[in-house]
Order: sequence, then C-alpha cells, then structure tokens
Amino acid sequence: MTAATRRRRIARDSSELNRRRVNRILIGLLVLVSLVWIFLPIAMAALWSLVDPSSPWAYPDLFPRDLSFARWDNLWNNTSLPTAIGNSYRLAPAVGFVALALATPTAYAFGRLEFRGKSIAQILSLLPIVLPSFAVAIFFSSVLIRLEFFDRYLSILIGHVVLFMPYAIRILTVSYAQVPQDLIDAARDMNAGPLARFRSIFLPLTLPGYASALIIIFILSIEEFALAFILGSPDFTTIPTILFSYLGFNFVRSNAAVVSLILVVPNVVILLFLERLLGSVGLESGTKG
Amino acid sequence: MKPTGLRHYAKVGLLLLPGLGVILGFISLVVWFAIAQSLGQFGFRGEDRWTLDFWREVGSDETFRRSFFYSLRVATISAIGAVALAFPFVMWLRQPFRGSQSMSAILKVPLLVPGLVAAFLYVNFISFNGFFNFGLQRIGIIDEPLRILNDERGIGVLILQVWKQMPFALLLLTGAVRSIGDDVFLAARDAGAGAAARFVHIVLPLTLASMQAAMVIIFIGAAGDYSFQVVAGPRAPFSMAQYMNVTRTTGGDRNYAAVIGMMLMVMSLFGSVSLAGLVRLAVNRGSYK
Repeated sequence: MTAATRRRRIARDSSELNRRRVNRILIGLLVLVSLVWIFLPIAMAALWSLVDPSSPWAYPDLFPRDLSFARWDNLWNNTSLPTAIGNSYRLAPAVGFVALALATPTAYAFGRLEFRGKSIAQILSLLPIVLPSFAVAIFFSSVLIRLEFFDRYLSILIGHVVLFMPYAIRILTVSYAQVPQDLIDAARDMNAGPLARFRSIFLPLTLPGYASALIIIFILSIEEFALAFILGSPDFTTIPTILFSYLGFNFVRSNAAVVSLILVVPNVVILLFLERLLGSVGLESGTKG
Repeated sequence: MKPTGLRHYAKVGLLLLPGLGVILGFISLVVWFAIAQSLGQFGFRGEDRWTLDFWREVGSDETFRRSFFYSLRVATISAIGAVALAFPFVMWLRQPFRGSQSMSAILKVPLLVPGLVAAFLYVNFISFNGFFNFGLQRIGIIDEPLRILNDERGIGVLILQVWKQMPFALLLLTGAVRSIGDDVFLAARDAGAGAAARFVHIVLPLTLASMQAAMVIIFIGAAGDYSFQVVAGPRAPFSMAQYMNVTRTTGGDRNYAAVIGMMLMVMSLFGSVSLAGLVRLAVNRGSYK
C-alpha cells in the first residue's frame, strides 16, 4: 500500500468517524426537541384529562394534587360525547367502503388502461384536495338547502366520500399498475374469464392497497372538521366538532384534553398498523414528483 | 401504441364515471353554486336577482382586505416555512445510519395528530396557565405569566401550520431526494462542489416537482384554514374562511359570503400556482449561476 493510499484511507475513516459523531449529537438534539415539542404537550394533555375537579392544578404545583377519572366519567355521562363517538365511527367505515367502491373502476382505468387525456383526468381527480374544504363545505350546504335535503348523516357521508376519494383513486391506481401483465396473460391463456382473473390475480395483489386506502380514509373521515361542522351543526356532532366546542372562546381545558385523547389514541394505533401495509403498496413511490 | 377504438373509449368512459364522474359532478355543482350565489342567486332571503353588487362591496370592505392579505401571508409563510424546515432533515436522513428510521418516525409524529388536537396541545402549552409560562416562572425568567395566546401577528397559527405540515413536506421530499442516485452526488463532489453547491445545483433542481407539490398543497390548506385561526389565531384580522363563516352566520348574508368564498378559491389557485412558479424561477436562477 502506498503512502498516498494510506493517507486517503485515514482521511476517509476520520470523516466517517466525524459523521457518526455529528449524527449522534443531532439525534440527541432532535430527541430533546421532540420531547419538549411533541411528547410533553401530549403528556400534559393526558395529565389534564386526569385532574380531579375538586383540586385544580395551578402554579406553583408541578403536578396535579389529585388524579381521577372524574372528568372522563362526567363527559361520558353528562355530554353528547358518546353520541359523537358513535356518529364518527358510524360515518368513517361507511365513507371508506363507499369511496373504495366508487374509486375502483377509475383506479383500474388509470392503472391498467392507456387512453388520450389520461394525465389530465388524473389531475382532475385531485380537485377535491386542491379546493379549500371550508369553502366547499359552505357552498355544499347551500346546495343541500336548495335541494331541501336535510339528512345530516347522508350529507356528511356524501361530502366525505367526494373529499377523500382522490386518496383512494391514487393508492388503488398504484396497486393496479403494479399487477404484472404476464400473470394476467397467463390466466387469459388458461381461459380464465374477467371475474376469475379479478378473483385470482387482481384481488389478492391489490388487497394491501385496498386495506391502506380504507384505513387512510377512515382516519381522514374521523378527523375531518369543516364538513362535519358546517353540515352537522348543531344536531349532528362528531368527535372533532365536540372537541372544537371546548376550544376557542369556551376553552374548557380538561374536557378538551379528554376528547383530544379519544381522537388521537386510536389514530396512532391504526396508523402504526398502517406502516406495515404502506410498505407493500409502495405509496412512497406513488408520491414522487 | 394507445388503443383508439370507440369501444375502448366507451369502456374508459364507463370506468371513469363512478369515480372521476362523481368528483367532477360534485365540484361543478359546488363551483356553479358559488358563482351563482356571489352574483345574487340562492340568497335564501327573498327574491333572487342577478347582480354584481356583492362583488362591488368587496372593493370598499376594509375587513375583507385585511383578511385577504392575512390569509395570503399565513399561507405563503407556512408553505415556505414547512418546506424550508423539512429540507435539512431530508438531507440528514438521505443516507441510512443507525437510528435514522427512528428519527424519521419521530419527525412524522405530527402527521398522526389531527389538526384540532394539535391546536389544543399548542394552546394548552402556551396558555396563561400553560407549561411554557409555568417553566419560565419556575426557572425565574418571568414573575408573571405572559399572555401570548391569540397573538396579533398570527405567530401561533404559523407555528401550528408549520408543525403540522412539515412532516408532509418531509414525506414528499424524502422520496424525491432518495431517487437522486449517489453517483450524482459523488460526481459533483469529485468535481469540487461543496455541500451548499451540491444542494443548490443538484438537490433543488431535481426535487423541484415535489417541492412545488408540497408547497401548493400546504398553501391551499393554510389559506383556507378555519380551526387553527379560531383556536389560536388573533381576534382580528379574520382568516378568509373565518370571515366567510362570520358573514354567513352572524350577518346572514350568503351572497356576500359567497364572494368571499370565491375570492378564497381564487387566492388558493393563483397564490399556490404563483408560489410554485416563483420557486421554479428561483431554483433555476440559482442553479444556472
């Protein structure tokens, strides 16, 4: 080994060592910032939800004096929270299934067929995402008033389906596009009809995509505020609209903490499950560019 | 070769109908209602007439002017801020190292937190009795808690927007940066380009499309924001969505509210496209220097 090669190797090793050291420092900093910026507020919310009403939590107490489930109990028994949870969890799966059913043919066309104007059609399918949802909600409410259609559940269902269908179309398009053509050709050569091909090839290979799209739409629907607020208020409450009622001018901190946890904890659990599915559907490749 | 037969296009048309067809039908109806309502129709307050009076009102409405520029400012700063904050993390996490996956997961936590919950966590953190004031008092920096909630400049809204949207920008940019081959970076390094030059001449031009997509979506979301503004924003000026809702509910003037809604949509469309265009111009100018 020549002296020059040895010097280059030493320089490379030293640069690698420096890189590792910098990474360790940055990881430490990021963990510290995240503790203050993300985990501390969530821990505070959990504590606030457990503050006993008989002994308020105020300066200079570092922690609440008494903890209890009195706030949870009170909200569950004396407010419309159970109804709101019921409404949200009745709405979200229905939105998911209807959106998937409507999105499937379009996603198949985008993923498997070639036609003139396809890229324009794909851009147009994103329209609900690029329009301000609050404005869309207000104008949609005017349309419903004009049509004298006052079923709040169905109104929000229709709104959510249209608002979130672009996500289903996008994810399913990627899933359908990834089905290998030689498999379909082989099935056709074995005289498999369209239904048999769908059952034996498309369905198993696109199932992770369907599951991912369903979960994403489910979560988006549970979280959605603008349409539920404009179309549902005041009779039809969902978890976000009831949370909103405890924020702003009427800031009821402990109640807001309870509802926040009810909204966020199931989401985190579901999304952790989704992490695994997203890998198989290749969503990241679908979002490039 | 693309199939061109009538039968093929009839099949494509039928497949697009339930998905794209429903989206286009819904959006056309909503936009038609917005236009008609802004021109004096569907006021639900008596006789309708076609008029430009509601559009003329905008010119002399000082509250509208302030709302428009406030929302424009919030949307622009949020879009640029979220992308600018995401880039250093994207570059840091470009090549995997021990702990990089955990860091990426931590950075994406805000994606799991619904907007309203994020607003609550923020308000809970910085409110008069919040942890921020509590901490400053405990370490002796201040004697009395600060009143920083609902600050006049909308800093709280900007913090919330950037906090919530940065992971989205991170997700889009990560895919784009990872698709740049290592050989490109190595070639640039061998040619003597430093880290800054590689970022300006390689990363920015090759991630431009993703950067523009992230900015457009963040801009539109922030321009149409209602919930962050009501919970953590200043009492005046209103955001456009807030002013639209106040006009519709408190003033009962649906026609003028429709004008504000139309202006919000126009701002979202032209503002986001202009921002994307300016970013392209800046990146191209920087990379050709």
